[in-house]
Amino acid sequence: MAVDRTLLFKASVKTVKTRNKAIGIGFDSTKDEIFKRTRPKSGFSPKAKEVITNITKLKDFLLQHRKDYVSAGSLISSDLTRMTDSERDQIDQDAQIFMRTCSEAIKQLRNEAEKKVTSSQIKEHRGAVLDLIEMYLKGVCKLYSEQRAIRVKRMVDKKRLYVPVKITFYFEQENQRLVSEMNSLVDEVRQIEGKVVEISRLQEIFAEKVLQQETEIDSIHQLVVGATENVKEGNEDIREAIKNNAGFRVWILFFLVMCSFSLLFLDWYDS
Amino acid sequence: APSLPTTSKMAASVREKQTVALKRMLNFNAPPLKNTAAEPVWKVLIYDRFGQDIISPLLSVKELRDMGITLHLLLHSDRDPIPDVPAIYFVMPTEENIDRICQDLRNQLYESYYLNFISAISRSKLEDIASAALAANAVSQVTKVFDQYLNFITLEDDMFILCHQNKELISYHAINRPDIQDTDMDAIMDTIVDSLFCFFVTLGAVPIIRCPRGNAAEMVAVKLDKKLRENLRDARNSLFTGDSMAAGQFSFQRPLFVLADRNVDMATPLHHTWTYQALIHDVLDFHLNRVMMEEGAGAEPSPAGARPKKKSRKTYDLTAADKFWQKHKGSPFPEVAESVQEELDTYRAQEDEVKRLKSIMGLEGEDEGAISMLSDNTAKLTSAVSSLPELLEKKRLIDLHTNVATAVLDHIKSRKLDVYFEYEEKLMSKSTLDKSLLDIISDPDAGTPEDKMRLFLIYYITTQQAPTESDLEQYKKALLDAGCDLSPLTYIKQWKAFTKMASTPANYGNSGVKPMGLFSRVMNTGSQFVMEGVKNLVLKQHNLPVTRILDNLMEMKSHPETDDYRYFDPKMLRGSESSIPRNKNPFQEAIVFVVGGGNYIEYQNLVDYTKSKQGKKVVYGCSELFNSAQFIKQVRAADCSDMMLL
Repeated sequence: MAVDRTLLFKASVKTVKTRNKAIGIGFDSTKDEIFKRTRPKSGFSPKAKEVITNITKLKDFLLQHRKDYVSAGSLISSDLTRMTDSERDQIDQDAQIFMRTCSEAIKQLRNEAEKKVTSSQIKEHRGAVLDLIEMYLKGVCKLYSEQRAIRVKRMVDKKRLYVPVKITFYFEQENQRLVSEMNSLVDEVRQIEGKVVEISRLQEIFAEKVLQQETEIDSIHQLVVGATENVKEGNEDIREAIKNNAGFRVWILFFLVMCSFSLLFLDWYDS
Repeated sequence: APSLPTTSKMAASVREKQTVALKRMLNFNAPPLKNTAAEPVWKVLIYDRFGQDIISPLLSVKELRDMGITLHLLLHSDRDPIPDVPAIYFVMPTEENIDRICQDLRNQLYESYYLNFISAISRSKLEDIASAALAANAVSQVTKVFDQYLNFITLEDDMFILCHQNKELISYHAINRPDIQDTDMDAIMDTIVDSLFCFFVTLGAVPIIRCPRGNAAEMVAVKLDKKLRENLRDARNSLFTGDSMAAGQFSFQRPLFVLADRNVDMATPLHHTWTYQALIHDVLDFHLNRVMMEEGAGAEPSPAGARPKKKSRKTYDLTAADKFWQKHKGSPFPEVAESVQEELDTYRAQEDEVKRLKSIMGLEGEDEGAISMLSDNTAKLTSAVSSLPELLEKKRLIDLHTNVATAVLDHIKSRKLDVYFEYEEKLMSKSTLDKSLLDIISDPDAGTPEDKMRLFLIYYITTQQAPTESDLEQYKKALLDAGCDLSPLTYIKQWKAFTKMASTPANYGNSGVKPMGLFSRVMNTGSQFVMEGVKNLVLKQHNLPVTRILDNLMEMKSHPETDDYRYFDPKMLRGSESSIPRNKNPFQEAIVFVVGGGNYIEYQNLVDYTKSKQGKKVVYGCSELFNSAQFIKQVRAADCSDMMLL
C-alpha cells in the first residue's frame, strides 16, 4: 500500500525555505526563470499532442453517431433519428479522410524526429511516442471499421432481398430453361455413362473368360498335337505289325504246306 | 467498496498485489482506467538496480510500452534532458540515489517528477530533495512523492525473495561468518526486516509470528514484531487500516508467519533435484525468472574442418503467461520431456489445419463473388488468421522449452544426475543403499567434483553415526583424487557438531524413489528427448524439514521440534510474547521465510505439501536464492572456529 508523501514534501520545502531565509540564503529566481526560457523548446511535443487531440475528436465523432449509423432503420422508428445512406456515406468519407490525414501527420512527425535529433535517447523516446499515437489511431480506426463492416453486411443482405422483380423474372426464366436443358443433358450423359460402364464390365468378364479359355485351348492343342503324333506312330506300328503278321502267316502256311507235303511224301514212300 | 468477504483464501496473490501497485505507480499514482481506447500519455521510467529487479519479473518491456513508458533508464547512467516529458522514478532512498535525483533536478532534465521510493524515505533525505528543488526552482515540477513499500521481489504467485542486487550483504555467509560484529548483524537484520515489513504492508495483513529460539531467525522475528507493533500503534500513519485492509483481505483469519533459519536444514541446498524448475536453477544460469544459455552449445562436435560454431547467448523469460511452464515447472523431468513432445505434436496438427484452410480458401476464392465473402468462409479465415498469433506464440514457447529441456538433459546425461538424485533421496530417507558411497565418488564418469562433494556432504549431514576416522580418511582421499575441494567439509563438521548439541538432528522423513523402468524408456524413444540410460524416477511425497516445521505450526500439532517456538502477535496490546499460542484453530494461510537463503527444492516441496491440503495457501520466501554451487562457495568461505548461532 503506497503512502503519499507529497504533502510532507511540500512541508519540507517550507521548512527549508524558512531555514534558508533565517540563514540568509536567497535564490535569484529571476535568473533561473530566464535560464528556463532560453532552453530550446522543441516543437515535437505540442505537435504530437495536437495529433492526439485530432484523433480523439474523430473518436468522439464516431462514438456520437454510432448508434444512428448502426441502427437498422426499422419502419417503427421515426424518420428523424434514422440516418440516410448518403449521410452514412458522408461519415465514411469524412472518417477516411481524417484517418489518412492523421496517419500522414504521424509519418511527417517521424521524419522530422529522425532528422532533427542527435541524442539517441530522445530519438528512442520520440519513436516510442509515435508508436503509441499510431496504436491509438489503430484503435480508433478499428471502431470505424467495425461499424462499417456491420453496415456493409446489412447492405449486402438487403440487396439479396430487394432486387427489382422484372429483371429477376427474366433471368429466372432463362435460368429455368438453361437448367432444364442442362438437366436433360445431364440425364442422357448419365444414362450413357451407365451403359458404358456396363459394357466395360461385360467386356471385362468377356476378356477374363477368353483368357481362361486360352489356357484351356492351349492345353488341348498340345494334347491334340501329341495325340496326332501318337496316332501316326501307332499307324506305323500297326503296319509293321500287319507286315509281321503277314510274313508270319506266309511262314506258317509254308510250314504247313511243307508238313503236308512231307506227310504226303512219307505216305508215298511208305506204300 | 469491498465485496462480501469469504472465508476462503485471500482474493489476490502477493504477485498480483505487487503488480497492481506497480501499475498504479506507473499511471502517475492513480488507479488505471478500464477504458482501453483512452488517449496515450507518455512518460519515462527511471529506476535503480533494485527497482529494475522488482519490476522485471512482473512486467515485460511490451507491457511497459503499452502503459506509455517510452524509455526506461537506470538512475546512475548518462541521461539526456527530455524537457517535455514527465519522469517516474522508482528507487531506493539511499544517499547516492538522492544525490543523483537532486542533480537531475538541478539539470532540469524532465518536465515533471514523480518520485517513488521503494521503501520509506527519511525526513532528512526528503529535506535534501526539497532544498535541491528550491535551488533549481523546480519545486512545482516535483508533482508527487510516494513511499511504495515494495522492497521485495516476487518471483511466483507464492514465492518471493528479498533482493538480487547486493545480496551478499545479507547472504548466508554474511549472517554466519565468525567475525561478525553486533553492529553488522544489526544492519543485516534491519535490511531483512524492512523488506518483510514492506511485504506485509503490500499483503495488507498483520501475521502471527512463530520462530525458533537462539538464532538469526529469532532476531528477525523480534525486530519485525517491534516494527509492526509500532506502526499499528501510530493511528495516524498506520499502514494496516482502512483501504489496505479492505482491498486485500477477505479472510477472517490472519496468516501465520513462520521464520526458519537456514541452519535447520543444510542438506536441501546441496541436494540434487529432479523437478523442472529446480533443475534449471541447479544446472543453468537462472535468476529473476530468466534463463541465460549459450546457444549452439550442444553435445555434438562440429564436423571436422568446419568453423567452430559461434556461441551466442540466448535469454529466455519464464513468465506467468507461459501456460506450459506454469503447468510443468514442478513436474519431474521425464514428464516434462514427454509433455514438450505432446505439445509439439498438437501444434503440428493445428498448423496443418491452418494450412488446409488456407489452401481451401485459395481454391474457392476464385469462383465466388463478393457476396460470399461475408459467409462462412470468411468466418473460418478470420478465425484462422486470428489464431495465427496464438499459434506462433505457442511455437515460440515450444521452441523455448525444447531448448531449455535439451540443455538440462545434456547436463543430466553427462553428469549422471539421476544417479545422484536417487542416492541422495535414499540417504535422506535412511533407506537401504544399493551402492557404496565410495564407488560413486571414485567413478570417473559420474558427475563433476562438485557433484561428488555435494553427495558426500549430504551423507555426512544425514548419517546417524559419524564415520570412523579411517573411513573418513578413505572418503577424503577418494574425494581429493576426484578433484574435489574439501574446505566446505570443515564448516559442515562444525555445524553438525553444534546442531547435535543444540537439538535433535533433522529428520528427512520417509521418502522413496521408485524407478519406473523399461516401460517408460520404451515410451520415450519415440520422442526427441531420448532418455536412454536415464532412469525415470518417480518421487514419493515426503516433507523436508522446513515443510515439516510449517505443518506442525499450521496444524497446531505438538512436536518436540516446534513446541518451544516463540509466539508473537503484533496486534496484542500487552506484552510481546507468550509461549502459549492464543489461536487454537489451524491456520488457512501461511508464509514461510528462511533466513540465510533458500532454493527451489524447498519451494517445490512446500507447493506439493500445499496441493495435498485443501483450501490452504502457503507462500515461500527467503533472504536470497542460491543453487548448490553458490551455496558451497558461501560455505567454503565461512570456515569458522566459532559458529554464529547465538
